[in-house]
Amino acid sequence: MTPPYPPQGPPFGRRRLAGVLGAAAGVAGLAGCSSDEAKDMGTLQVWGGIPAESGPQKIIDRFQKLHPDVTVKYTRYVNDDRGNLKLNTALQGGVDIDVFFTYGVPNLAMRASSGLAADVADQVRSTPELKTFLDKDEPKALFDGDQITALATTRIPQMVLLNERLRKRAGVDLPRRWTLDEYLEALRAFADAGKYGSYTLPDIARIELGPNYRFTPKGDSNFSDPSFLRQFDLSAQLIREGVLYPWSQAVARQLEAYQQNVFIAEEFGLWITAPYSLRFLTDQEQYPHDFTVAAAPVPTSAGGDWNTGEYGAFIQINSRSPKQELAWEFSKFWLLKGSQDMVHAGYISIISDVDEDELLSGILGEDAEKFFDVDSFRRTLFEDDPRLHLDTELTAYAEITQKYEQQRDVCWLLEQTPQKAIKTVDNNAQALIDRFQED
Amino acid sequence: MSTTQTSPAPVGTRPAPSARRRTGRAPSDPKPFVGWLFIAPNLLGVVAFTFIPLISVILLSFTQWNLVSGFGGIKFVGLANFIAVFQDPTFWRSLLITIVYAGVAVPLTLVVGLALALALNRDLPARGLLRAAFFVPYIVNIVAIGMTWQMLLDPSAGLVNQFLGLFGLEHLPQWFASSHWALPALILVTIWAQAGYANLIFLSALQDAPTQLYEAARIDGAGRWASFRAITWPSLLPTTIFLLVTLFVGISQTFGMIALITGGGPGESTTTLSFYMYQTSFQFYRFGYASAVGLVTFIGIFAIMLLMWRAQRGKALHD
Repeated sequence: MTPPYPPQGPPFGRRRLAGVLGAAAGVAGLAGCSSDEAKDMGTLQVWGGIPAESGPQKIIDRFQKLHPDVTVKYTRYVNDDRGNLKLNTALQGGVDIDVFFTYGVPNLAMRASSGLAADVADQVRSTPELKTFLDKDEPKALFDGDQITALATTRIPQMVLLNERLRKRAGVDLPRRWTLDEYLEALRAFADAGKYGSYTLPDIARIELGPNYRFTPKGDSNFSDPSFLRQFDLSAQLIREGVLYPWSQAVARQLEAYQQNVFIAEEFGLWITAPYSLRFLTDQEQYPHDFTVAAAPVPTSAGGDWNTGEYGAFIQINSRSPKQELAWEFSKFWLLKGSQDMVHAGYISIISDVDEDELLSGILGEDAEKFFDVDSFRRTLFEDDPRLHLDTELTAYAEITQKYEQQRDVCWLLEQTPQKAIKTVDNNAQALIDRFQED
Repeated sequence: MSTTQTSPAPVGTRPAPSARRRTGRAPSDPKPFVGWLFIAPNLLGVVAFTFIPLISVILLSFTQWNLVSGFGGIKFVGLANFIAVFQDPTFWRSLLITIVYAGVAVPLTLVVGLALALALNRDLPARGLLRAAFFVPYIVNIVAIGMTWQMLLDPSAGLVNQFLGLFGLEHLPQWFASSHWALPALILVTIWAQAGYANLIFLSALQDAPTQLYEAARIDGAGRWASFRAITWPSLLPTTIFLLVTLFVGISQTFGMIALITGGGPGESTTTLSFYMYQTSFQFYRFGYASAVGLVTFIGIFAIMLLMWRAQRGKALHD
């Protein structure tokens, strides 16, 4: 006789179900673990944001030549939200990483304050060639009391690139130094000659206020400083006049990360950028163009002469790495001997063991004379000795940046008055500082 | 029902399940795990990708955690995140934007989907091709959708504004480059992408519509509009509610399109709750706070869903 119901198993009781779930979670948890024993002590794992072929691999090759018993593996992560999340989860999850690079202060502060970066203060103090990193007045390292958890590898000066054809058409002299007013005159001359002057204005507040410009000495919001309002106001006015590139186009075409395309298309004549952008101008295959480019310094204002560029590309040693000594050896090698290789990617090392001409030819490529006014780059990048900064007040840094950019957009789209926009930024920034000050 | 669980079952009918049976226990069963094995893959998936994340979000919402500090860095903060959420102007603005976005996009998607379904339910030349064509946007990759509409709605070079310019219109919409127009533009793209899905579901419901009622209505002299109002619409109501709920849940959680096209801007004009959650977690690494936002959002959407479900009870043709 067949049973009235198909056969059924015994109930999966709550306890048994909980047991199975617990076991599954345990297995999953174990799968994510790694132990020091599993790590290859002869292999150094380095994670960075610059493609290996743009310089890091050459440094690694030279380091391995000096240390034949060591293998260095370089993993490239893309320096965007997803790439940084990948590095963060890898670091937190115990993936075998010994040395890593951090770009941008918000990530730097978070990784250091979370205990992911080892303190290298003793090693820095015992290496005379690295004494520049002990300077707290013009910091190039991340300090936490007496600890040092990150060392900037790179100077990232800003400069103004000029399309020489458009400059000559506009009748503008190539400046060796200029004030903001002279810069504005040049922009208008470019616009009168039928092209937009520039994509944006230089960061006036940064020029005048330098490091930690968003914060008062007491740590409150500093957006009530007139320089911020001037930035919004002047930019909106010049966009309205057709002197600056229309922000509606910048937003619609998402040009923030692709300004090089518009510069190479000769839609504007002056471009404020850093040496890493020169790789676009030396790549005739991907970015063909037939004009030469000159460099000029960032204009100064009556209120200050900060360059707006910064120290960056921080090298950090994973505090959990069992290869601390080797990791430090590699980091030191990168800092002291890496300049000749990294310069091809447009990265100017803080400590250089090669002369300016070599650095210049590294940055500008083989056909430098064909595409660049080489002397203007020498003056701007090296002889002028631009004043760079490193922000050390980092409360709600990413959130404040976002609030600033949101109001900047609506102001430059001419949908919000500069006064109201900057007031909103100030209020939002203060609210964020009040909320996150204790973090 | 008069039969109780202890009454003997009538001949030829299934006996009422005993308490043991209801719990699935069968002591004589030689293969007790077979049933569980069948559902194990799905169960594991639900546990791993729904149950554990949901519990994690609930637990994390009472903590401060930046992920980078590891589990040791989790700090219990009680209700602080929830208090902060309700005091956060960006949360309220994002909530309003989400309500406007879903509140406009969902009904319009239903209207467009229904209109298409009614049109494509007739004898038309190349009907199959037309049905497929209207469904295609739903299955197109989100990146392709984003890029295509960015080009179409470019304020100066886009086809849409060039077309509008032919009529001599001045002050053309700036679409994604305007904090006033970005949300309407996003709604437009959402309707375009989702209407094909609504169309398909409505079409299948229309094909199940009770033909005898239409015949009876025709004999009684009912016109098209009267037939639609008295027969088609009530018969489509369960389908409409299903679409209303699923579209509302789906559209209110739209992320990819916003991330690709507007990044939540200009300003905060397209920062919906789901995008705000993404920003607070994966851009600002405030996972505890983002979890609190997520939990409040979940409860809100769940409540709205329940209200929708209750509102339609007893109104369908078959009820």
